Amino acid sequence: MKKWLMLVVFSLIFVGLVACSNNDESAGSDSDGGSDDTVELDFWIFGSTGYDQLVEEYMKDNPNVKININEGEMNDMHNNLFTSISAGSGAPDIAQIEISQVEKFLEAQDQFYNLVDYGAEDVSSNFLDWKWAQAQSADGSFQIGLPTDIGPTTMFYRTDVMEEAGLSTDREEVAAQIDSWEAYYETAKTIKDKTGKPISDSPQLVFNSLRDQLEQQYFNEEDELIIEDTVKEAYDYTTKMIEEGLVGKNELWEPEWGSAMAEGSYATMPGAPGWMVANVKANAPDTSGKWDIAKIPEGAGNWGGSFLTIPKQSEYPEEAFEFISWLTAPEQQLKSFEIAGLFPSTPDVYENEDFLATTDEFFNNAPTAKIFAEAAQSVKTVYMGVNYSIVDTELGTALLNVAIEGADPEKEWDAAVERINSQLERQ
Amino acid sequence: MKGSHKFSFSKLFVYLILILAAFFSIFPFYWMFVMATNNNSAINSLPPAYIPGKELVTNFTNVINTIDFFGAMWNSVIVSTITTIGVLFLCSLAGFAFAKFHFKGKNILFIAILVTMMIPPQLGLIPQYYIITQLDWLNDLKAIIVPGLIDAFGIFWMRQYISSNVPDELVDAAKIDGCSNIRIYWNIAVPVIIPAFATLAIIKFMYIWNDFLWPLVVLREESSFTIQVALRGLIDNYVRDNGMILSGTFWATVPLIIVFLLLNRLFIQSLTEGAVKS
Amino acid sequence: MGQTNAKTDIIPKKSFFTEKKKEAISGYLYISPFFILFAIFGLFPILFSFYLGFQKWNGLGEMEFVGLQNFQWILTDKVFWVSLSNTLIMWILGTIPQLIIGIILAYALNSALIKMQGFFRVSVFMPYVTSTVAVAIVFGVMFNSQEFGLMNVILSWFGQDPVSWSTSWWGVKIAISSMVFWRWVGYNTIIYLAGLQAIPHELYEAAQIDGATVRQKIQYITIPMLRPIIILTVFTSTIGALQLFTEPLIFLGRTYREEGISVVLYLYREAFANLSFGPASAAAIILFIIIILLSSVNVWIANRLGR
Repeated sequence: MKKWLMLVVFSLIFVGLVACSNNDESAGSDSDGGSDDTVELDFWIFGSTGYDQLVEEYMKDNPNVKININEGEMNDMHNNLFTSISAGSGAPDIAQIEISQVEKFLEAQDQFYNLVDYGAEDVSSNFLDWKWAQAQSADGSFQIGLPTDIGPTTMFYRTDVMEEAGLSTDREEVAAQIDSWEAYYETAKTIKDKTGKPISDSPQLVFNSLRDQLEQQYFNEEDELIIEDTVKEAYDYTTKMIEEGLVGKNELWEPEWGSAMAEGSYATMPGAPGWMVANVKANAPDTSGKWDIAKIPEGAGNWGGSFLTIPKQSEYPEEAFEFISWLTAPEQQLKSFEIAGLFPSTPDVYENEDFLATTDEFFNNAPTAKIFAEAAQSVKTVYMGVNYSIVDTELGTALLNVAIEGADPEKEWDAAVERINSQLERQ
Repeated sequence: MKGSHKFSFSKLFVYLILILAAFFSIFPFYWMFVMATNNNSAINSLPPAYIPGKELVTNFTNVINTIDFFGAMWNSVIVSTITTIGVLFLCSLAGFAFAKFHFKGKNILFIAILVTMMIPPQLGLIPQYYIITQLDWLNDLKAIIVPGLIDAFGIFWMRQYISSNVPDELVDAAKIDGCSNIRIYWNIAVPVIIPAFATLAIIKFMYIWNDFLWPLVVLREESSFTIQVALRGLIDNYVRDNGMILSGTFWATVPLIIVFLLLNRLFIQSLTEGAVKS
Repeated sequence: MGQTNAKTDIIPKKSFFTEKKKEAISGYLYISPFFILFAIFGLFPILFSFYLGFQKWNGLGEMEFVGLQNFQWILTDKVFWVSLSNTLIMWILGTIPQLIIGIILAYALNSALIKMQGFFRVSVFMPYVTSTVAVAIVFGVMFNSQEFGLMNVILSWFGQDPVSWSTSWWGVKIAISSMVFWRWVGYNTIIYLAGLQAIPHELYEAAQIDGATVRQKIQYITIPMLRPIIILTVFTSTIGALQLFTEPLIFLGRTYREEGISVVLYLYREAFANLSFGPASAAAIILFIIIILLSSVNVWIANRLGR
């Protein structure tokens, strides 16, 4: 009965496959179009960077260069880069790499151009020293990428909750009141007494803030695990706060964490970098004016930020380097800040009047650029090590177990160390 | 159909089960719609929004401004349709051979097909990607379609269905009449197994449509994105607009429901035809 | 089944050999596309995985032969055994009910007396259509660990304390199993439904006249007639359950918590998060062996159903 239908359907396959291969030919000739004098550069980026506008500008001034932007989700872009490098083909001419992934790709130095060979030293003075060092091999001879944005950390706080607790809401006075972690603890008790609210909802943020102030964190430069001597103190501090009910139990990036921003159910968000501004606005659009920004006690750390690298598979390393050194120059970083809010890694910009004048109504007209710029200057150079994320994941699990399950902090620490060691053993 | 209007306890029971099942199944879909029509803060507030909001148009406009929604939908339609049709053809042929033909090593070959299903596919990502680059199929829909034609489940399914629904007597009689093997497949097996086609078509189509792990690896240019890859582009690394993400997800699912309804009709039609025959 | 032996007798003697040969050639021809495509796209990745099981490799640098070291690491890793027991527990919680409910739903949907069959079919199949992003968000909301999470509200009606669905030993497993159950029950229902269509109505009508109950009809007609399809679903869902990956990944995020880590998630973590491709491949090989054993046992049991 339905045979005619089947016939139609089956003939469609062949038509389809033929159509498909035609499709491919036209696509193929497209990407081979670099045979004349123009150079084509594939450029992989993630997140909102505002680079599309800057690329347009660059192509206008350099008609012989054509740049194809390919934008995707952060993890996907890193995975694709990894797969391409592992399999030996398909990598772009320029790839953006986030700070948490840099060490991993530094392991494969032979797969990337050493930017030192293309004149990286000449532009290195443009950037913050600690940021520059993050994309360097331990001995400093290999530079994998040029810095883009950074995430210097501050402390966001809710003025309404501070007021409720009878504390000052002025950002200078808040910074003066909470000038050490000891003071943070004492303030937490006051806030708890007066309002019943925790000083922070996220154990991870408190821990990260303390950790990021250390010059040595999870590994030393010989890649030995040193957490007992470094971050254990931060862990103990955080778990003590949890057990006394001074810190809540929300997990980063979960819906509860987002909704807590809108509710005003806590007083401070320690360790918040520049890009967190947009995050708070998206999660809690109705809380405009209830937020402010102060310095974080005992010095800022860094959370996030990226680099631009040139994989060895590229045929045009010189053109690519020329482009990325232009794109990461102070003028362009300033534009990227204006378009997309990426915080510049070039200290030159921090002296720009217009830049310093940036304020944010949402945060009670705080001079955001100035505060983040000050934080940026005090960040220290940290050796992270290729296995950083293993340790980070397991310690995060331990903290949440203490917060949510009420588990014993010491047992959780030991269990986390055991899990970390068994994973490190196989590296 | 006699006595269908009489009240019976078992009938009530059957309805109860179905209504419960329908409720639990539709609920998440409803939720998706609720989120697709609300803004981010309404979704993230606790308790979250339970009723559709007013952001239907805004959210979808945001989707269209962020990704090439319709281009990606078109790619998905092409990929899913071609793969499904190819799988129906190849799997029914192979299933028919396994069910009705005698040849040396048949059982071992069949078991070999089943064993291929048992290998965890996640690790094969890098070597499989390597093969695609060697074929120069990066950013080409063929990279999804051709590997998608390998469907051990489809062969298994067709074999099981054909072996219990296509009578051996019919096949043998056709052989005596001097029918060629391909004509036996076409004239005898195919008309009987239309419900099996419809079922496999539904399953395969939905699978290819919703797959994203593999497309994500081999499709890197926006012009080649399938809808699931394109939808990933809605996820910003720092700021998540769930209303927009769910809006894209919701509208990408609606066509699937339509496909399902169409195939389901074909499915029911073939059944009633079968019933008339018997 | 009885006809198989009779077949050779029916075919005329003179063309016996050539017919048989022709049939064999057609047979090989019809199944060849699978094997050709598989040889191109499937075989190399598998051989590569087996090879990696004996190497140390981070995905980027040189490989180094390490013998059985990877297997030793995996087999002595507590987390691997936890992941295996998690997988088996979630298989029991998620997969077995899914097959039973699938048959019941298919039976109900197939009943000629039911109105709005189209509507019910679509709705039961809806979860399989829903994309993983939506599933992750919806289940995240339903299994929210706070008191106002939907499941905790339901628990409170029965006077139960709220459960921390994202961190507690059973909570995580129940949440993931529900996700598996919810996603795949419709899929199995559709498969059973197609199988049920093949059962002649006369059989049920005859049983009706004999006064059989619904349960008896299912037990003595439906299940035996459906056996090839049941074997298929048992086989495929066993494999699917042992390769459980997407659901725990989206429920746990990238925390890989021990309460819900499955074997495939474990090996995925080893490979793509920790860049230990050797141990990951060794875990894959061990899982492969376990799958072969368990699915053989299952099919053997399913084969005896209704006999």
